[in-house]
Amino acid sequence: MTDRQRIAVVGLGTVHDAPPGTSQRMMAAEAARLAIADAGLSISDIDGALDLRRSGGGGDRSTYSDVFTRVLGLPAQFYFTVGRGGAVAGLATAVATGFLDRGLANYVVCVGAVDDYTKAQLTKKQGQRGMAHVEKEGYWGKALGDLRAVSHHSWMASRHMAEYGTTSEQLGAIAVAQRAWACMNPEARMYGRPITIADHQASPLVAEPYHLLDISQISDGAVAFVLTTEDRARDCAQKPVYVQGQGFGEVAADLWWEKKNYTTMAVAPAKQKAFAQAGLSGVEDLDVVQLYDCFTAEVLFQLEDYGFCEKGEGGKWVEAGHTAPGGTVPLNTGGGLLSNKHLGDLTGFSEAVLQLRGQAGERQVPDCEVALTTGHGGELVSPGLCSIHTSTILGVA
Amino acid sequence: MTTETTETTERRWNKPLPNIDLDNKAFWDGLRDHQLLLWTCSTCGTQYWPKCYCIKHENEPYAQNMSWQPGSGRGKIFALNRHHWAFHPGFQDELPYIYALIELDEGPLISTTIVGKQPTDLVSAVGEPVQIVYEDYAELGFTIPRFELIDA
Repeated sequence: MTDRQRIAVVGLGTVHDAPPGTSQRMMAAEAARLAIADAGLSISDIDGALDLRRSGGGGDRSTYSDVFTRVLGLPAQFYFTVGRGGAVAGLATAVATGFLDRGLANYVVCVGAVDDYTKAQLTKKQGQRGMAHVEKEGYWGKALGDLRAVSHHSWMASRHMAEYGTTSEQLGAIAVAQRAWACMNPEARMYGRPITIADHQASPLVAEPYHLLDISQISDGAVAFVLTTEDRARDCAQKPVYVQGQGFGEVAADLWWEKKNYTTMAVAPAKQKAFAQAGLSGVEDLDVVQLYDCFTAEVLFQLEDYGFCEKGEGGKWVEAGHTAPGGTVPLNTGGGLLSNKHLGDLTGFSEAVLQLRGQAGERQVPDCEVALTTGHGGELVSPGLCSIHTSTILGVA
Repeated sequence: MTTETTETTERRWNKPLPNIDLDNKAFWDGLRDHQLLLWTCSTCGTQYWPKCYCIKHENEPYAQNMSWQPGSGRGKIFALNRHHWAFHPGFQDELPYIYALIELDEGPLISTTIVGKQPTDLVSAVGEPVQIVYEDYAELGFTIPRFELIDA
């Protein structure tokens, strides 16, 4: 890659608390507006846009796909949807890199927006619980009581418990640590509300072994970021955050009937490529870590699979407090999806950018130069579990 | 919920309907006949669910070297959870229900709820033997596969 310029994140825009009644398309447009302004650019500079959706190709025209660029008046020369569950930040970055690298765009804005909280309030009135989003038509488990991500993700936790003796309290340690970080983030939903292991254990059982406090937030909001090439990045308003390495892995490559994807994620190939591109020798080179945390066990698996601890030892390791403020690994420092907000699967990516820029306030990790941010998403055919893992190394050096 | 396998036309279905499509219609027809069909390779006998190409060798176009053949309907619990929340009102009456991933004796994984005697402990239930139970909804034209614990 030596003959190519590095790609940098130059703008970040976040919509945390939109006024009631704000549509997804308005939140997406507003986050994009903020990100462009943050970069010191104007709308007329942006010539490419990516719409980051939960579902692959799920360009819901009536919400904001095909809409937000027009709302904002972006003169984008291309605009399309990237979607695979929680993997969108890594995938969008890779896609945009191609356009920037080939000279097809100078500045690309990537946006994800959600109105899950508002929708959940509406569907409560219809007798439904939790997030409004249900698995799509065609999903095997719908008729059988498998309606939400927690209906099948909790299998991973129970399987890890059965294989390695992991306990619910150990999963709780992940939630407690992230809550402690959230208590240093005034924008986090759970700011000022610390929890203990006892609180975790006392929280309602939703899909056992998962308690409510094992599950990520339901949120309204949006995150946008602007990517450009290194030479242009130097002229932007913020310190450039470079994409130092990227890698992907699919547990589908292990094929679901080989039953590997219930206690591990497809970290190995993703890590190998991303760390090699970034010139990292191992996790000890990371200053801050943002692991995709839709549920607590996903964090546990990734800690093991990246090699922060031995496979099967994650429970004891998190219990020892390594991921809490003051621990050895600053993990999900904004509170993550579990205790900050679930902002269109971009919460961790935006936190990494803030940390690398030195803009993370009270929770700022000192001398933060290298960040790992991961994504996890997509569904295999039934029985369905997320299959893609994305590994993105961001850095300021 | 009843665990009988006899036809009960009075059962009410107030849940999302199963998705029956071109790839799985024969599978759902098999359930109606109280057979758990597995997608089976005529070349090497490997069985799959859901429908896919055999991974062990070259396939004929559209996997025509494969067909739906009856499986044993037996397996063991691979992973499970206990739902305490009904995400759809149709499941309210079943709470709490065990939703399990079953590893069939033939190899494939399939998921549904456990009926009858309920596992008490989620960890020790992993590996417990189970067999299929057919829950008929004749008026609606489909049969739902459930599983129940059996003695090893």
